[in-house]
Amino acid sequence: MDEVATKIIDILKKHMKEPRDDISLSTALTDLKIESLDLAMIVFDIEDTFGIEIPYNANEDVGDFKTVGSVVEKVKGLVAAGPAAAKA
Amino acid sequence: MTKGNGTRRVVVTGLGVVTPIGLNVADFWASMKAGKSGVSELGGFPLDDLKILIAAQIKDFDPKVRLKNYKRDKIIVHADRYSWFAAAAAEEAVAQSGIEFPVANPYRAACIIGSGAGGLTTFENAYRDLFIHNKRATNPLTLLRIIGSSASAHVGIEYGIKGPTFATCSACSTASHAIGIARDYIQNDLVDVAIAGASESVINYGTMKAWQALHVLSPQGCFPFAKRRNGTVLGEGAGILVLEEYEHAKRRGATILAELSGYGMASDSQDMVKPTVEGPSYAMQMALDDAKIEASEIDYLNAHGTATKDNDINETKAIKNVFKNAASKVAISSTKSMTGHPLGAGGGIEAVACIKAMQESWVPPTIGLDEVDPECDLDYVPNVGRDLKVNYAMSNSFAFGGLNAVLIFGPPPA
Repeated sequence: MDEVATKIIDILKKHMKEPRDDISLSTALTDLKIESLDLAMIVFDIEDTFGIEIPYNANEDVGDFKTVGSVVEKVKGLVAAGPAAAKA
Repeated sequence: MTKGNGTRRVVVTGLGVVTPIGLNVADFWASMKAGKSGVSELGGFPLDDLKILIAAQIKDFDPKVRLKNYKRDKIIVHADRYSWFAAAAAEEAVAQSGIEFPVANPYRAACIIGSGAGGLTTFENAYRDLFIHNKRATNPLTLLRIIGSSASAHVGIEYGIKGPTFATCSACSTASHAIGIARDYIQNDLVDVAIAGASESVINYGTMKAWQALHVLSPQGCFPFAKRRNGTVLGEGAGILVLEEYEHAKRRGATILAELSGYGMASDSQDMVKPTVEGPSYAMQMALDDAKIEASEIDYLNAHGTATKDNDINETKAIKNVFKNAASKVAISSTKSMTGHPLGAGGGIEAVACIKAMQESWVPPTIGLDEVDPECDLDYVPNVGRDLKVNYAMSNSFAFGGLNAVLIFGPPPA
C-alpha cells in the first residue's frame, strides 16, 4: 500500500469506535460502521492532511466513497489536480 | 396544551451541579458551608490586552472521566464545554432521583436545559481558525457544539427522552425559566418527569472583551450588597433538577426533596440594562400567589445579587415592595459571592442551594460583605451561614433585558 492509502486508513481508524487492523483497499466503508457525523470528521481530516477539498454533500449518496480504495483514488485525483481544481 | 385539572403537584427528586466551588452537590455544599470563593486569576487562554483578570472558572473538570458513563450519546466528549457541564449535572440529578431512563413512555418525559449563549467558546475558536489562522474550514462538529439547544439534545439522547426537549434562553433567568416551564408541563399533564435547568460556559477572550466593554465586571471580586461592590464576576457551570409529578414520585417510593411550589415571571419591558422595581416585584408576587403563600412564609431568599450597583439596590427595593414588614425578617443571601455569576445557569445552581438549605436547615452566606451598602439594608446573612429552619425558599433571577423569573420551593407534600 502506498503512502496515500496508509494515511487514509490511519485517518479512518482514528475515527472508528472500534478500530480494526484488517482494513484493505477493497474494504467497503459500510463495513466500517462509519456514521454520517464520523464521515464529516473523516473528510475534514483527509482534506487537512492532503491540502485538498473534497466535494461532498451529506444529503447525497457518495458514489466515490464506496470502498477504501475508491476514497484513495479520489484523493489522489484531487491532489494531482492541485488546489485550483478544488475551487472549481 | 393544558389537560390537567390543576391538582397535579410537582416535586424535586434529583439535584445536580457543576460549579467553580464544587463539581457535584456534596462538594458545592461543603464549599458553601466553608464560605469558599470560586473566584480566581483568569487563565486557560491568552489574556492579551484584557483588563479584567479574574473569573470564577471551573478548572478541574475532565469530561473523559466525569462523562464516562454516557452510553447512548456517543459524542458528548466532543461537545462544547457547556454541554459537558449540563451532561454531568444531569447525570448527578438523575442518579439521585433513582428514575430509570428511558421511562416506560418516553414521550411523557421532558428535557429542558437552557443556556444564555450556547457554545460561545467553540464559536470563538472557529472564528480564530477562519479569520486569524486562515484555515479553509471549521471543524465539522462546530455547528453542533455551538447551538444553544445542544446541551438539551445531548442529555435527551442519553436518557431516551422523547417528550418536549429544547433550550430556554433569557440571559441570567434562563435556568429559572426552564425549570418553571418544566413545572408547568408536569402540572398540565403533558409529561410526568422532567430534567430541567441550564448550563453556561462562556469565559473566553471575546466574551471577556464584550463584558468589559459593558463596564459591569469587577476587577477585584464579587461582593453583593457590599458598599465596596463594583461589578460582577463571570462564572460558569450548570444546575439541573429532576422534577416529577408528586403521585408518580410517591408510587415509586422516591425520596422527595422539595415541592416546586411557585413560579412567577414578568418582563420589565423597559430597558436592556436598567432594571425596574415593578418587574421583579410582579414576578415575586406571582410566584407567591402561585404557591398560595404569604411573603412572610418565605424563610430564605436566594437573591439574584449580582454585585452590580444597580441590581443590588433595585432588588432590595423590590423585596421591600413585595415583603413589606417581612422584608427585614427574611434571611437573604447571594451565593454568587461564592460561585461568581454563572449567567444562564444561575437559577439552576441557586435552586439547588435553596433545596439544600431546606434539607439541612442552614442558609448559605453572602461572603465578602464586610461593610453593607446603606441602600442595601436587609438581612443578607453576611460572611457566615446560619442555622435556620427553612420551610419555603425563594430564588430570584433577574436578567438583562428586564427578564425576571422567580421560583419557590416548599416542603414535600404531606
